[in-house]
Amino acid sequence: MTQSNVGKLKHLWNSVWDVFYFFFPLVRRARKSKVFYFISFLPVILAGIFKFSQIFTGHPRFEGIYIFSNMIMGFYLQFLILILALFYGTSVCSEELEGKTLTYLTTRPVPKSAIILGKYAAYTTLIALMVVFGLVFAFLILNVDDLLNFSLYKILFRSMAVLVLGLICYTAFFTMIGTFLKRSIMFGLIFSFGWENVIQYFPGSTQRFAIAHYLKSLLPTTQASEGFAFLLFRLEPTPPTLAVLILFLITAVFLTLACVIFSWQEYILQD
Amino acid sequence: MKPVIEVQNLSRWYGNVLGLSDVTLQIEPGITGLLGPNGAGKSTFLRLITGQIKPNIGSVWISGQKVRNNYTLFQDLGVCPEQDSFYDELSGWQFLTGLLRLYHLSKSEILAKASKALDIVELTPDKDRVIRSYSRGMRQRLKVAQAIAHEPEILILDEPLNGLDPLSRRKIIRLIKSYKEEGKTIVVSSHVLPEIEAMTKRIILIHQGKIFAQGDIHYIRDLIESHPHIISIKCSRPRELVSKFIQHDFILKVNFIPDDDSLLVETNNRDKFFGLLPSLFVENNIEVFEVTSPDDNLQAVFDYLIGQ
Repeated sequence: MTQSNVGKLKHLWNSVWDVFYFFFPLVRRARKSKVFYFISFLPVILAGIFKFSQIFTGHPRFEGIYIFSNMIMGFYLQFLILILALFYGTSVCSEELEGKTLTYLTTRPVPKSAIILGKYAAYTTLIALMVVFGLVFAFLILNVDDLLNFSLYKILFRSMAVLVLGLICYTAFFTMIGTFLKRSIMFGLIFSFGWENVIQYFPGSTQRFAIAHYLKSLLPTTQASEGFAFLLFRLEPTPPTLAVLILFLITAVFLTLACVIFSWQEYILQD
Repeated sequence: MKPVIEVQNLSRWYGNVLGLSDVTLQIEPGITGLLGPNGAGKSTFLRLITGQIKPNIGSVWISGQKVRNNYTLFQDLGVCPEQDSFYDELSGWQFLTGLLRLYHLSKSEILAKASKALDIVELTPDKDRVIRSYSRGMRQRLKVAQAIAHEPEILILDEPLNGLDPLSRRKIIRLIKSYKEEGKTIVVSSHVLPEIEAMTKRIILIHQGKIFAQGDIHYIRDLIESHPHIISIKCSRPRELVSKFIQHDFILKVNFIPDDDSLLVETNNRDKFFGLLPSLFVENNIEVFEVTSPDDNLQAVFDYLIGQ
């Protein structure tokens, strides 16, 4: 690599960091984030209700880890990470157009790819924190009577890593969609709750066309998953290392495409 | 003098609508005023020279470099966009320091430059308020602050005086003129002739996407001189003011707008009229609320000039 390329990469990295630094506090206090803080806190409320009812009835019907695993499959994987990635990923570009603030960014000495990557990093960090906080609190509440069982923490950390990886991958995809589609939310909803929720159950290699397939391949399997076993129906898992590599590859491809489209696409701010 | 901005056969259309047609010009250091009615193509021209949009035909160079996707150029270029849009959840201070960070400055430099820019536009006392709570004039001043904060050599200002009160307007005009003294290049657009006139003698008249005339303002003024101007005045006791107007032969017509306590005055000598107006207000103790020169005034001037 030549010295000028190293210099360019260093400049890109610094620019990405500067854009991240500008947008992270901004998105943290944005109005829409307040709504999503509440939604991502819902599992904690549900965990609390479940634990209270268990204390009052006196006889536990399910173990805490059973509820926790079903929460991951039913709420986090099939709903929350998709919704968060969709609303934050598509807004990386579209909110600048709708808010007519794009000029403030594109008239600064930063590459356009740094604007996309910096905003993507800021938004993904925030939604990952939302998910992780909710997940940890829900886990602690559900397993409050078994907190010294360290094997449970392995499930927690693995689930957490899978969900964060899911957010990284889905947000990259939706960021790319947002750079060129005007109705990116509509497309994203169809993709999330149409394509992803259907293709993952197809037998054979078809299910490998869904990001959810690779995420499910990485999730820890416990006997507790039986309640939502239909969500794993006909899962023909990809080996974990390959699944992780594919998820990173998908992320890199979509982010590269997002940067290229954003650099060459012309955005006209309506007066 | 070597031109800083050069455009060659620049054309741009939006679907079937012509935005700019075959513009070739060179802009030298100093203040260049871009004057034209709304929809004339001023903003299209400024967006093209800042690389926000692509020309269909033609090319743009700033300091000898191509503009589109050349982010290094913006180290020395400040842009004040036309849109009244901000990251409303931020305070003025956060907005400015956040944008200054994108110039890869040290923390102390960011703080010093942000403080200086806010001081210049007199927003220091309000710097910690969220932008959402700013008045239109404050927002306009903040837009100017973000354009000047990094002390660029070239400034592109799209209607920078919109929404400003007369005092702020004068201060911004003085500021722009001070940049000229420093040898900087400033391109400023407006649809109000007196605003441009107060800043520079060098103007470009743009109309229906074409450069209609360019050069010294006196040439334009001579063209315009014989054309009647309409001035709107909102004041207490408008009828009393009218009785004073009719003694002067350069007042051609006065229309009352009774519901609004305002007058529309038509004059064929704008300079004499504005020379007379303050003394009439003072001598007759008339309280003045607003004096404006409606935008259609300029449109009428253009229509008149095209007809000549």
